[in-house]
Amino acid sequence: MSTASDLEQIILRVAQIMIDELKLEDVTAETFDPEIDLIDEVGIDSMDLATVALVLRDEYAIRIDEDDYPKLTTIRLISEYLDNKLKERS
Amino acid sequence: MNADPSNKEWKFSEILADHEIRARWEKVRRYFFLRESTYDMANRCNIRCEGCYYYKGDKQSARENNDPTAWHDLMRAEKARGITYVVLAGAEPSLVPELCEACFQEMPLGTIATNGLKFIPASINYKIHISVWGNDATSFDIRNAKNMLRRQIENYKGDPRAVFVYTFTRNNIDQAREVSGILAEQGCRLTFNMFSAPEGYEGPLRHSAASLDYTRRTMIELLKAYPGEVFFSHYNAVAHTHRSSLHELYSCSYPRMNPSTDIGLGRSFRQYRTDLSWNREVACCVPDTDCVDCRHYASGSAVVTARLFRHATDPDTFKAWLDYVDTYLAVWVMGYEKGDNLCNQLVAPPGHEVF
Repeated sequence: MSTASDLEQIILRVAQIMIDELKLEDVTAETFDPEIDLIDEVGIDSMDLATVALVLRDEYAIRIDEDDYPKLTTIRLISEYLDNKLKERS
Repeated sequence: MNADPSNKEWKFSEILADHEIRARWEKVRRYFFLRESTYDMANRCNIRCEGCYYYKGDKQSARENNDPTAWHDLMRAEKARGITYVVLAGAEPSLVPELCEACFQEMPLGTIATNGLKFIPASINYKIHISVWGNDATSFDIRNAKNMLRRQIENYKGDPRAVFVYTFTRNNIDQAREVSGILAEQGCRLTFNMFSAPEGYEGPLRHSAASLDYTRRTMIELLKAYPGEVFFSHYNAVAHTHRSSLHELYSCSYPRMNPSTDIGLGRSFRQYRTDLSWNREVACCVPDTDCVDCRHYASGSAVVTARLFRHATDPDTFKAWLDYVDTYLAVWVMGYEKGDNLCNQLVAPPGHEVF
């Protein structure tokens, strides 16, 4: 069973992947606001999100359906999505 | 389904472990920032072609806005909402060079789609796509223009902006050999388009299953014959000559077929008419095309390219997608140089057969 602490770990990891893959500057995994709107405020697009989804697929062995992309507008939403899929699997 | 017969589930990192794939991936991903919209520049044309999309639907009745200041303002507003790339199209942008110039001064990346009969000033450093619909006899028949190819070449031979776009119809497939040979001999670069019927069109240019098959073989033959001049790939040929339309294969992401406004083209793309109005309900790269027949090169350039996730299933499928994106960038972006294709076999679109 996953815990709040597991979710926090996923949030940090997703933030780090965002930073690495999208080459974001002036932010760390710890300072990346998990509630910030990635599309409106960070400016990521569908190709960025697809790239991140591929790296997350590698890391967690979880496929993020293309139809689900539009819902995943913050790091917290992505992390909760992964957390739920991990729970379903276990 | 993937192109790997072992059906291994590949990790993305494993696919990228191939140095050739990694290098191409890094090359193309630098352009993921491109966000396009399209603009009708004039409601006039100096020729009238059978099956022209511009003269279908009600966009043709929009009044022209010929005030360069209005276009400057529009481009600045477009930039402010995140647009980084413009396609200046219908009916014939070369008739309003001052408006094209206004766009270029504000937005440095873009393409002008033209029939090539009137030279567009070199100061407008956009890609120039010159439409070719067959040899000169065919052009005279369906475009009512004499010596069209010769005049197009005279205008754009040696011009680094120029890409000749040969549109395959049901009736001009064999002529592609003659035309490609002439263009290649003159050092002109070309790519291929597919006639995609406007809504309601049932004329003789519409493709059949047999003509799609023959077009695919001809495209690949010409790609092999003129590898330095033809910007295309095996996967381009598969995607654009498949019996299913691009929408059926890849789910078109333009607003007209995509209700989502959350992310991607459904959110940002607009198709402006000559009066600078736009309407989300009909917005796509070639408005008034019949979506079930759409194999248009402009559509594929956005729709196939956007489907990164689906193609990251195995090395061959991903290489095929990279070839497609590499072709797209070489055709549409000034300064981007096409690399050698990585996948010279027929790979099926994800979830579909080759045919």
